[in-house]
Amino acid sequence: MNYHILKKDELDGFIKKLSGKMKVVAPVARGAGNFAFQEVSGASEIALKYIPTILPPKKYFMPQRETMLEFDISGAKPSDTAVVDAGETAVFGVHTCDLAGIQCLNMVFSERPRDYNYLRRKDKILLIGLECGDYCDEYASCALVNSHMPSGGYDLFFTDLGDRFIIHVHTQKAEELVEEMGLAKAVPADMTALEKVRAHKRSVFKKEVNVDPRKLPAIFAAGADSKVWKDVGARCVSCGNCTNVCPSCYCFDMADTMNLDLKTGVRTRTWDSCQLEPFAQVAGGENFRKERSERQRHRYFRKFKYSVDKFYRFFCTGCGRCTRTCMADISLKETLTSLVKENV
Amino acid sequence: MTNASKTATKPKVAFFDFACCEGCQLQVANLGESLLDILGAIDVVEFREVMSEKWDKDYDVAIIEGSITDHHAEERIKKIRARSRVLIAYGACACIGGVNGMKNSFELDEIRRCVYGKDFKLFDSVKTRPVHQVVKVDYFVNGCPIYPPELVEVLKCALRGLPYTVPDNPVCVECKLNENVCMYDRGVSCLGPWTKAGCNSWCVNNGNICYGCRGEVKNPAKNAASDVIGKYKLSAGLIKNKFEMYNKCKEGDINGGK
Repeated sequence: MNYHILKKDELDGFIKKLSGKMKVVAPVARGAGNFAFQEVSGASEIALKYIPTILPPKKYFMPQRETMLEFDISGAKPSDTAVVDAGETAVFGVHTCDLAGIQCLNMVFSERPRDYNYLRRKDKILLIGLECGDYCDEYASCALVNSHMPSGGYDLFFTDLGDRFIIHVHTQKAEELVEEMGLAKAVPADMTALEKVRAHKRSVFKKEVNVDPRKLPAIFAAGADSKVWKDVGARCVSCGNCTNVCPSCYCFDMADTMNLDLKTGVRTRTWDSCQLEPFAQVAGGENFRKERSERQRHRYFRKFKYSVDKFYRFFCTGCGRCTRTCMADISLKETLTSLVKENV
Repeated sequence: MTNASKTATKPKVAFFDFACCEGCQLQVANLGESLLDILGAIDVVEFREVMSEKWDKDYDVAIIEGSITDHHAEERIKKIRARSRVLIAYGACACIGGVNGMKNSFELDEIRRCVYGKDFKLFDSVKTRPVHQVVKVDYFVNGCPIYPPELVEVLKCALRGLPYTVPDNPVCVECKLNENVCMYDRGVSCLGPWTKAGCNSWCVNNGNICYGCRGEVKNPAKNAASDVIGKYKLSAGLIKNKFEMYNKCKEGDINGGK
């Protein structure tokens, strides 16, 4: 068991030392109850108590807009150069729901053909988790998908013990950092305190939807034609907020853009969303998911059915962002509840 | 190649304005460094805001600002169209009618009397139309004013003979990618959820709301509008009024007119 201790008043020194070595990003308050991961240089800027950020930390693994290739078509033979402009980055304060999201993306982008842009960025990221002692708000459903407790996917993991953090050191990279920072080893009393935090969590975090999660894929399969989708579709704005803020959504669009010299250009990928009307439109004008209801159903199936078939896990991490951000108040917990009710 | 022959091969581009504030021309004049790059790729033959020369031959590209609001303008735009290989409408006035369209909410004579007084009949005026409701438009650069990087993209497409697709997604898409705090969370209503993207949520990035200047998406969420209005306790009339500032010219919305 590799646990270390950092006193609360030493956090600032920790962040400062770390930012001397690499870019450090952490949740920062942005007003109107919103938070965002952004660069910090000291602990005072960091919101240690925060509800899930507007965008999940996936933006550091696959930026919203990313240059993939630079090309030149002026010669007899076109030439190109691949681009990855990833720098060493520490992402501090990642909740377990977002760690789960990154675990999902790791599986997706490691599949062949591998996504080297993603994987090379991932190699340069030091992931520092931060435990939630209580629910962030009523939109979360992390206990349902079992992402409320830490289960790997990080280098270091911080749990607040009042006057100090207990830190689980999980990787070689983290081990070296902790040694360099000279953090004290945890003692049995610290482990008892950690166990107390976990016991409290077990009493607070309860399955947010009344269903055996193992039955969800079958419930979805049976509910493909449910009226739930019509209802959700009738309300949907098709703004794409729910997928853009989702920690496990990874769809993107690629486009080549010429420079004004009309000889050189760049290939860029940008996040795309299955909720947008043109997403499933193909040449000739055919659209495979023309209706909002079909698009919403697709989103839910990608989280609770297809991902289980393919990767043996839910791709919903229970962070609650899709519900929190929805302009039209479409709630993941309510949708699941209605679907479950129909299928008992 | 001599300079003269180089110039001869560059596409001839002309800028024209109709009913508008000429703010979009100002955006072009303010392009800065990319303006120099553009001028390297084209030969500007008419542009009232920055030069006095005129051109009496055909145009490779005509770039039109402003909406069509009287008979004279209608004849003039038809003549320009006849002389132009490619025609680009730029700015909200040219693309969707823009603020000039507010006129269409009133009886024409009533509004003429209000503006020109008792002798209003001396002043010609018709219902406001965006350019494409009169002549065929090949490219649209939406916005009030235009978002300069989009104009550059459209110009590159026009020069290469490629289509440019105006995103048919709400502004929210780009706004979310830019990780702005939602205006509705700040307690302010914003037209982003119904307005065409492509401006990189320019206004919201700078602390303002979306005014809908790029026009509505093709399939706006009619049902959702009432949910959103309910959720944030807004008045439907307020949203409608905000929309009518830019979006009053949708009747007869066929590219090339009837």
